[in-house]
Formats: sequence, structure tokens, C-alpha cells
Amino acid sequence: MSALILTSVLGVLLLYLGLFGQKKLLVPVGVLGLLAAIGLFVMDRSINVPMFAHMVSFDRAGWLFSCGMLVVTVLIFLFGADYYARQEENVAEQYALMIFSLTGALLLTSYTNLLMLFLGIEILSIPLYIMAGGKRDSMRSSEASFKYFLLGSFASAFLLMGIALIYGVAASFDLGVVKEVALRQLVQPDILFTLGCFFVAIGLSFKVAAAPFHFWSPDVYEGSPTLITAFMSTVVKMAAFIGLYRFVGITQMPPTLGKALLVMTIFTLMIGNIVALRQSHFKRLMAYSSIAHSGFLLMAVLSQAPNTAQVLFYYTFTYSLATVGLFILMTLAKRAANGDEHIRIFRGLFRAKPWLGVVMLLLMLSLAGIPLTAGFVAKYQIFLLAIGADLIKTTVFAVLMALVGIYYYAVVIREAFTPSEEAPALVVSPVNLLLISVCGISVVLFGLLPGYLQ
Amino acid sequence: MQYLFYLFAAISVLSALLVVGARNPVNSVISLIVCFLSIAGHYILLNAQFLAMVHIIVYTGAIMVLFLFVIMLLNLNKSTEPSKTLLTRIAAVTAGALFLFTLLGALRQGVHIAAAKEFDGNTGLVKSVGQSLFSDFLLPFEVSSVLFLSAMIGAVMLGRKDRSPREDAPARPEPSERRTKKIPA
Repeated sequence: MSALILTSVLGVLLLYLGLFGQKKLLVPVGVLGLLAAIGLFVMDRSINVPMFAHMVSFDRAGWLFSCGMLVVTVLIFLFGADYYARQEENVAEQYALMIFSLTGALLLTSYTNLLMLFLGIEILSIPLYIMAGGKRDSMRSSEASFKYFLLGSFASAFLLMGIALIYGVAASFDLGVVKEVALRQLVQPDILFTLGCFFVAIGLSFKVAAAPFHFWSPDVYEGSPTLITAFMSTVVKMAAFIGLYRFVGITQMPPTLGKALLVMTIFTLMIGNIVALRQSHFKRLMAYSSIAHSGFLLMAVLSQAPNTAQVLFYYTFTYSLATVGLFILMTLAKRAANGDEHIRIFRGLFRAKPWLGVVMLLLMLSLAGIPLTAGFVAKYQIFLLAIGADLIKTTVFAVLMALVGIYYYAVVIREAFTPSEEAPALVVSPVNLLLISVCGISVVLFGLLPGYLQ
Repeated sequence: MQYLFYLFAAISVLSALLVVGARNPVNSVISLIVCFLSIAGHYILLNAQFLAMVHIIVYTGAIMVLFLFVIMLLNLNKSTEPSKTLLTRIAAVTAGALFLFTLLGALRQGVHIAAAKEFDGNTGLVKSVGQSLFSDFLLPFEVSSVLFLSAMIGAVMLGRKDRSPREDAPARPEPSERRTKKIPA
């Protein structure tokens, strides 16, 4: 709880630093604040204690996710030191908005009241809409911001309508009461409650970019500044998934909702993996890859086993590490290629900087789910969960789709290892080199020793 | 009391139809204001004074004035509705008709909804709203400040004029731009 207050204050502090023109201090102060928040979480013994009249309560899963998101945000902040080095305006605002967005994400890990779910989603999203339009001279960035804003508000309206319907049945926003009502539903189903759950699920699956609510994500990923894209595909994904997981767990999933989610899972797996085959723009490729990963994660949400939360955490955290690393690599290659974002910018990477080439190989293999990397363990655990929940056909389909997915990751790897006539002139700052190495090594380390993340 | 309800209900439905049907956007906005006012009347009938006042101040006062500003600034007060293709028209009619039939079918079957809670006439009073905001719902109330702060940052960040071109040319905003800055809060 104190971490929640700390992050809100940290955002305001960063704004003040920006006001007084202390641009150099932004990243150190931000990183220190985030580390302090992690420290507070580690020291915090109040697990499963309801706070503020049953509004929030951190359970073990919420605790894990909160720490994970804070760690990923630290990585993104460090990346920002180099990313924003040449930008003069609005840097402090971008950092502050990211911190505010993170505050919303922390609420999503811990909500025990439907009001907090709505506020969490809104606090998470509104800064994102703004950050997506961060490159003010770029038409694409403005377009991304506008599209995301319109579609996101539409999804929020669904979420709110669903919450209102659930309130109409349960006469309370409290998740404890909602859970009791949900148990009663198993005997005597109520159309309003099912409809409410359905609407909330629609609102949340927009945030996780599950098909058929995924249309925003390629455009928004492409248009947003790369740093924000990295934030979107990591922290936001983690937050939205823990939010969805908690909601589905509480409502016990009425059968119709379960079926709808299953169909969405299958569509998400299919669209994500198959459309990604035709992408040659790196950010769009990553967007479709992110949709595909949402499909695997949805399978875990559907299973609702006791260890689902741990598996979700392991999957999203290792996915985030790999994604952040890849986006940093892309930024470096993009600079060398004068702003191009086609995957050919990676050509000759291995020849020019062997270590970066190797790290890129590791990260890509982890996303594809090749053994010895964390991505493999994550997918394996999800398949185990799905088989445990009797989703045999879906699992077979998911394995097939994972195999299809290997192809488009391999295409990027091939680019990196193809020698080019002129080697790309990559300039790597020490911080970025450290970050990329940390991502690459940890992906292998967690793949070999998955126990450390659970 | 009941006649008042029917009166407000009739006004809401009619003005809502006018919003969609009116050719001129300004007429649409005015009907929308009427619609909002009649909905505020419903709130008062339910003894929800706070909600009624907020509804009038926020929706009718702020948002609709903003709408009017936008329509005037963009010179939309002529009927400039772009004509739709035949395909979109067919699709829209089909979708709308399907929705109508679904609704009618549902109504014919009849959905019985039991009230989850007895109606308490005191819930909507300003006093009880304030009390629950500062006791049970303290955290949501406080945490929404983060939301508003970030929205404000966004408005300033995205709405501000670029600094770079202003250095070359002396700042002399055109009349239309000067007016856009006047956003009613």
C-alpha cells in the first residue's frame, strides 16, 4: 500500500524536476523511487490484508506481479536515459505519465472492489493515450494516440456497463459479495449477471489485445514512440492479465462466458500467429506476436488452477524481459538505419556486434519458445495447465500455432545473421549494453532455473 | 408524480430521436441538451439531488457547451453529412433490424429482474453521497486524483503549441486558435 502512495508521489516529483529543468536528474530519481517501491513491497508483510474498507488487498499473486512490473519499469526507465537524451521537451511529463500508468497497474494487481478495477484500468490507460502521441511532429504518433483513445474509451464504456449490471444483481461492488452471488448463479443463472460478466470481459480483453478486440494494437504499436511501445507490450500486458485473471476467478465463469473466452482464445492464437507471418515491419511484427502471446495467456486464464497466477507471472515477466531487450535493440538498429523500422535494419548485426547478435538470437528464441530459454518453460507450463483443465483440442491447436510462430521469429534472426555489404554503424551506450545483456542472460537463466520466479 | 415521470420520459425519448434525426448539427446539440435536462428530472424524481445537479453542471453545462464550440469553430452548422454508400446503408439497416428483433423477442419472453436492494430514498442526498465518499469510498475518491492529474498533463502536453516554429515567427495566434484555448472546465 505504501508503495502505491510512493509511486503517485514519485510521478509528481518527476513533474517538479521537469518544471525546474533538472533533466539529468529524472532517470536517477525515477529509478531510485521505483527501487524504493520494490523495497517497500519486499518488506511489506501485509499479504492478504484488506485495506481501505475492502478496496485493495495484495495477495501472493498481486505481490509477485507488482514487483515484476516495477522491475520492468526500472528497465524501461534506464532505457529512457538514452532514448530521451536528444529530446528537450516533455521528457519529464513522459516519465511522470509512465509512473502514473504504473500506479493504475498496481491497483489492477490488488483490487478487491469492482470500482477499483475500473479506476485501475482508467489510470492505466489515460496516460497511455497521451504517451502514444508523444512524438508531436509525427502524424503516425498522433494517429496512434487518437485511435487508441477512441477505441479505448469505447472498451471502457463496455467495462463500466458490465460493472453496473453486476452491481444491479449483487447490490455491491465488493468482490466478496460478487463471489457469493456468482456461486448462487451456478444453481440459478441470472441473465443480467452473465451479461455483466460478458461486458467486463470484453472491456478487459480489449486491454490485453485479444481477438476480435485486437485491431488497435498494430497501429498503436507502430505509431507510438518505441519506449512507450515497450511499456505497452510489457507492463500494461501484465497488469491487464492479472486484472482479467482475478475477475474470471471471482465470477467462477458462467458457462456461456467460458465458451466465449475459449472461442476468443482460439481466434487470438490464430490471428496473432498467422497474420504475423506476413509482417515485415518490426513493430507490427511485435504487435502481432504480442497478440499471439495473449492467446497463450488466455489459455492459462481459462484453466483457473491453483498455480495459474504463478504461471501467468512467469510467462508475462519473461516475455516482458525479452520484449524490452528487443525494443532496445530495434532502437539502436533504427538509429543506424536513419529511422527505418523494416526488419532489414537488423541485417549484418551479428557481423558488426557479435554479442548483440547473440543476445538477439536468445531473446527471439525465448519469444518463439525454444527449449533452454524461459519462453519454452512458460509455454510448457501453460500447456500443462490447459491439459489439466481438459482443454485438449485447444492445446493441440496452440502447439500448432506455436510452431507456426517459430517461422516469423526465425525470419528476423536470419536477417541478423545475414552478412550485409556495409555493416550497420551501431552506437551502443554502456547503459543500453548492460540492459540488453541483462535481458538476454536472464531469459536463459530463468529458462534453466524457473524455480526462482515462483 | 407518475404523470411527471411520463412527461419526462416522453421528452427524453422525443429529444433523443431528434438528436439522431436532425440534419443540422446545432439542432442535434440543442435536442441533446433538452434530453439531458429531462434525464436530470428523472434523477430528481428518484430523490437523487446530487446526481441531478452534477448531471446538469457537467453534461449540459460543460460538455455540451464544448460540443457547440467545436461545431461552431469547425463551421459544421450547415448540413454537411457525407452521403453513405449503398452497401453501408444496407449493412446498417440489417444490423439495426436484427437488433430490434432481438430486443422485441427478449421483451416478448419477458425478463423478470428482482431488485437486489430495497429502494432507499436517502441514498441520493448530498449528505449521504458525501459521507460514503469520505468513508467507504475514500481510496477510489483519492486515487482518481492521479487520473485527473494525468489527464491534465495530457491536455497541456498535447494542446500546447510547438516551441520551435515560434522562435522564427513572432507568436501571433490566429483568431480561431485563440478561441480553441478557451476550454470550459
